[in-house]
Amino acid sequence: MSKAAKATTGGDHFTRWLVIGMVAIVVLTGVVFSMMSSSTKANESFAALKGYTMGEAVSATINPAAGSGLTLNPGAPVTIDLWEDPQCPVCRIFETSIGAYIDTQIRTKKATVVYHVLSFLGPESVRAANAMMCAADEGHYLDYHKSLYIVQPALENSGFFSNENLIKIGETIGIKSESFSECVTKGSKLDLVKTHADSMQGYKVQGTPTVFINGKLWERKVSGFDLNEFRLAVEAG
Amino acid sequence: MVAFNQKYQRFFTLVSRLVIGGVLLVAGGLKAFVPAEAAGAVAAYKILPTQIAHIVGYALPWFEIAIGLLLIIGISVRMTSILAGAIMVLFIVAIASVWTRGILIDCGCFGGGGSIDPSKAAQVHRSYALEIARDLGLALLALYLYFFPYGFLSLDKSPPPNEEM
Repeated sequence: MSKAAKATTGGDHFTRWLVIGMVAIVVLTGVVFSMMSSSTKANESFAALKGYTMGEAVSATINPAAGSGLTLNPGAPVTIDLWEDPQCPVCRIFETSIGAYIDTQIRTKKATVVYHVLSFLGPESVRAANAMMCAADEGHYLDYHKSLYIVQPALENSGFFSNENLIKIGETIGIKSESFSECVTKGSKLDLVKTHADSMQGYKVQGTPTVFINGKLWERKVSGFDLNEFRLAVEAG
Repeated sequence: MVAFNQKYQRFFTLVSRLVIGGVLLVAGGLKAFVPAEAAGAVAAYKILPTQIAHIVGYALPWFEIAIGLLLIIGISVRMTSILAGAIMVLFIVAIASVWTRGILIDCGCFGGGGSIDPSKAAQVHRSYALEIARDLGLALLALYLYFFPYGFLSLDKSPPPNEEM
């Protein structure tokens, strides 16, 4: 051992530094490349929102009696409670299959929908949830909600849902007001985000997406999300 | 045992280099071109603050590629084997840490990564054990290379005559 140590320290300094230098160069160029390609990817995500047309503004009220959920179109005969996390991939699947139907139910005043924006998937969920509630103040919760799922990254907390990008998502679809960007940057809704998160236990919600129709848990019979099954459940009340 | 090792040592060294180098190269290569995923996978371990985790996620795949290449070509094998062994130990600690904290994730070892549905807990725990076993095996191979760095098909020059091990 001591002989070996002598052999490596004596006279072989040049190779050692050469190797360290090579590793450092590979890692540095790699990091620069990775950061660049990751910002190109982010721009591609924004491109998916180009041409998105926002619907009419829908105001959202906060109902303390329903876990402070964001309530859209109150007073309809059917009430749907949705528990979602903006980073949850299964919520994205739910949104693609059933989101359009739910939007129509709200816009045609057929159902009251209460959104519970959860944020248990990490810091980027918290930021995104805050931004969603900011968008609700602008009357565009539905549009912003849909847009977040369109651009949702494949993996949680990969750096995409930064406040900067969250504002940019709003700008891309047409939420351009100062109040929105200020609300996102300042985290003005973080208290409400926490209230939503804390209300989970009271409703025995353990995962996302969880759906209640008129207060009754919607239990799927088929795997995946079937629009017809959901529609029948809503119509049955 | 010693005689057996002496007879085949240069061959064992070559195989060890190729195995560790190959695994690192593949693991690094699969992650290097999906940087956002790699960043998210490191963040999912919830060991480092998110920002720092992202930087590690960007750098780690390239580090693996660099070490993997050096091992396969056979440059400064003794020193690279220390680095390779060190990252294996780091991976073992990271997986053990999520395991003990009850976090369910895909290790993201060869790309992918992130949280997993709670209903798959048993499966995830088994894969944690397998991952630790695999990394332990690779760490042992790295240890072998530390003691016997000179083998066939290597750019490292043979040991000086006074360094018979």
